[in-house]
Amino acid sequence: MDTKGNRPFGFQQKTWQKYGKGYSGMVVAPTGFGKTFSVFLGVLIDFMNHPYRYGSGLKLVWITPLRSLAKDLSKAMQNAIDEIGLDWTVEVRNGDTDVKVRQKQTRQLPDVLLVTPESLHLLLAQKRRDQIFKSLQCVVADEWHELLGSKRGVMTELALAYLKYLRPQLQIWGITATIGNLDEAADVLLPTVTKKITVTARERKKTEIVTLFPDEVELLPWAGHLGSRLVDKVVPVILKSRSTLLFTNTRSQSENWYQLLLEAHPDFAGQIALHHSSIDAHLRQWIEDALSSGTLKAVIATSSLDLGVDFKPVDTVIQVGSSKGVARFIQRAGRSGHSPFETSRIYFVPTHSLELIEIAALKEAVKTRTVEKRDPMVMTFDVMVQFLVTITLGGGFDAPNMFRIITGCHAFSMLTEEEWNWCLTFITVGGSIGKNYEEFHKVVINEENRYVVEKRRIAMIHRMNMGVIVSDAMMRVKFISGGYIGMIEEYFISKLKTGDRFILSGRVLELVRTKEMTAYVRLSSGRAITPSWLGGRLPLSSNLSRFLREKLAQGLDPAGRDPELKFLHPLFVRQVQHSAIPGQDEFLIEKIRTREGHHVFMYPFEGRLVHEIMASLLAYRISLLYPSSFSIAMNDYGFELFSDTEIPLEQAQFEQLLTRENLMEDVTASINATEMAKKKFRDIAVISGLVIQNLPGVQRNNKSLQASSGIIFKVFEEYDPQNLLLRQAYSEVFNQQLEEPRLTAAFDRIAKSRIVYKETFQFTPLSFPIKVDSLRQSLSSEDLAKRIEKLQKSYFKPNKKK
Amino acid sequence: MNFAQLPLNFASEELLLTNQRALYWERERILVLSDLHLGKAAHFRKNGIAVPAQVTHNDLLRLQRLLKHYPTERLLIVGDLIHAGKNSEIELLHEFVQQFPSTRFVLIKGNHDRIPDTLLQKIGIHELHESLTVGPLRFSHEPGVQTGLYTVCGHLHPGVRLKLPDRSSISLPCFAVTHKTLILPAFSHFTGLHTRFGTKDTEYFAFTENAIFPFQQKIL
Repeated sequence: MDTKGNRPFGFQQKTWQKYGKGYSGMVVAPTGFGKTFSVFLGVLIDFMNHPYRYGSGLKLVWITPLRSLAKDLSKAMQNAIDEIGLDWTVEVRNGDTDVKVRQKQTRQLPDVLLVTPESLHLLLAQKRRDQIFKSLQCVVADEWHELLGSKRGVMTELALAYLKYLRPQLQIWGITATIGNLDEAADVLLPTVTKKITVTARERKKTEIVTLFPDEVELLPWAGHLGSRLVDKVVPVILKSRSTLLFTNTRSQSENWYQLLLEAHPDFAGQIALHHSSIDAHLRQWIEDALSSGTLKAVIATSSLDLGVDFKPVDTVIQVGSSKGVARFIQRAGRSGHSPFETSRIYFVPTHSLELIEIAALKEAVKTRTVEKRDPMVMTFDVMVQFLVTITLGGGFDAPNMFRIITGCHAFSMLTEEEWNWCLTFITVGGSIGKNYEEFHKVVINEENRYVVEKRRIAMIHRMNMGVIVSDAMMRVKFISGGYIGMIEEYFISKLKTGDRFILSGRVLELVRTKEMTAYVRLSSGRAITPSWLGGRLPLSSNLSRFLREKLAQGLDPAGRDPELKFLHPLFVRQVQHSAIPGQDEFLIEKIRTREGHHVFMYPFEGRLVHEIMASLLAYRISLLYPSSFSIAMNDYGFELFSDTEIPLEQAQFEQLLTRENLMEDVTASINATEMAKKKFRDIAVISGLVIQNLPGVQRNNKSLQASSGIIFKVFEEYDPQNLLLRQAYSEVFNQQLEEPRLTAAFDRIAKSRIVYKETFQFTPLSFPIKVDSLRQSLSSEDLAKRIEKLQKSYFKPNKKK
Repeated sequence: MNFAQLPLNFASEELLLTNQRALYWERERILVLSDLHLGKAAHFRKNGIAVPAQVTHNDLLRLQRLLKHYPTERLLIVGDLIHAGKNSEIELLHEFVQQFPSTRFVLIKGNHDRIPDTLLQKIGIHELHESLTVGPLRFSHEPGVQTGLYTVCGHLHPGVRLKLPDRSSISLPCFAVTHKTLILPAFSHFTGLHTRFGTKDTEYFAFTENAIFPFQQKIL
């Protein structure tokens, strides 16, 4: 490093030192400060100091969450090794790796191997795994913050625990960006290691946030349409930059902005490109290469470009709409200005005027480095049973040992013996209920009392389906004249009729026919549907919502300095005239009577998902007091209950309705948990091997093994309700969908707040965007039979005699 | 189990559609069902997929109750009796047939019924046909063939999808009648539903645990 004229940073030196003393640990550093070389050079230095401690073969395993990162990283590592003059080799092994290379690696492994969590598990499924890892000294989990909080994180935990069992002296290091729960992140990574340290870089990346203001304030903001008016302010920013990344939150937004920019500045044709997960992978690769070489003026991207290799020419980042979270915002800002001392500049384009409050909140959060937490997942039985089978493939395990390894992981530290036995039963006899399981063939216990897989076909199916990323069924989109455009979710296509037009990859396409998993289209023009993906709507993070409430409360503070809040002054004035601006210890309820009916708006500022649950809950609680039916609507700031008859509610009753008591019981009663769990079960069924996505060969009876997760869910609900995988689906609903901890915290906060209750006859700046939100739903707490009965009026007709 | 039935006039014959996934033709004392997919759960288990065996037992239990409820001279299974190959669940049929000595078990072969005829006979199937005509009705596994005859068949696992006001939807199994074709629901619980088929003339008879009713598909 010195030869290149770079001086090592303090955190790098400290890491080298601690590594040399045998520590495990976690490095916390911003992107672009050489965090890779903190641990990597630490290993090299230690090798040069104590070469006799290192055996031949694989010494360092480097886990990266993204395949695309591995290639560049391995090049940089190899360069460093060559410069130092060592004879180590660095290689990549993941899904993209050529079969020949993989075979060569199985015979002779490099000294350093870059893997994904999935390819590491595949190595653990190898018969020779003890040989493969016999000289392993260190494992590094790079971008640990990306893995933590997902099932891939649990996969990593399990692999680390197993490697630690194979090699007790193993040193484990994590590398992470700043997140809200660093201590927990370190504990999850190193649950059983005592000699550990967290090294935090003091260096900080400077981030400058520039807001693009509209010409005037909209007093009644309408979500979504303002952004397009700002396109004229965006074009000059792109023109004066070398290369720009424009981030949107959804694929549909990115398609729209691509069109908008071309219309506003036709010269952009051929100079800008569109990058999202539905774009053909080859095209995406081309775009990424073009970005690196600086031949593209701008790329419109979704989170598909959040991570990954650095694009040196990119000097400007534009964020359209609120990023809804602090971590994501910092990450995106960091995609410009790569060298350590350059400032990352990010332009913010609001899509409606209220989002300006969000940017004021974001600025505050960035300034104070208050980044979201990543909650690690626990008790993911699906991942565990998959891992157990993985280990049986590579030579098997004995149960008591394996129990110690598994419970040594953070994710399974609470595992009971009973649950453990259920999992063993699941992989050996196929479940714990009833008899007639004699035909189950998966894992068997051999004469040495080890759990092994004997059937080749089972082993093959398992290898082909390892991993925890379950994607929606995707359809290829192709021109009838030939030529591939991209991939799109099957359910989107299934809603279209022949002749319908939609936009993909910046082109208007007309659906001609669908055959098997391919949609054939022809080029078209005119009005078309932009595919919208419900999942694309990111909810406001709880971290950001706190800052948002704070900023809003300061809205009319004359001493306030935020330019965004000053700009919004007329809007705040109107809000106060007709209603109120909630202070930080206040909870605002607006009751608005219009010709259409009666609206009740509440503003918890907890994000769309939590609001959806809260609205259902409130509707349920009100229906216990008065028979009523509502339709509900929500955005990230609040929600609306709408009914055509007046519900006579007083301030005191609202306090009662917003009580923290019986919270989860009432929530469970107010939502359709079964339907939600069924959706969660989709992934669980695939991960645990109940639904097989890839089958070897083109065997004729492949189809006979296919059943949708919905069918299996139904069968379990009926015949095996205590199935742990089924229970897991429900707990995922409560932890993720219902965000139980966040919901509880919100109600705690509301209970301590003063309720501000306003009645008015006009929509306020806060209520209007909710009112116009298209995602309306009606609520009814009746059971299925009653609902069908009700529906019969519209759906069923009397039986006509034939 | 709550029996619900609905009379349907088809080819000038009165047929009883039941919410138990079968059809009863009283004049001929024939009970008709389709797509039992016997052995499917066992087939899954054999391949390492842990599906409870109760699902099969329940299907057979339902059939047992039907046969006790409706006097049946002939049980017509219009295809896909067997899901895939021979396994322990298939043997269950042998025992089952013994319980009903006065009923003839007739199979119209479906695309899944690939095990040898001799084996089918061994497990208790009395008669095997590619298709069968009784009075004005023709029984076959798949719809398709234009014979001009009134046809009763299965194969498709028909279902209807109801959109609920809150944007969610539920699917229910059904009988589907288009002109001269009557499609039966799949008898086995361990099957999916095919909800995107039919023409605007198709009439649907959907059912739940407790009821069966005519249904008008609005969205096609």
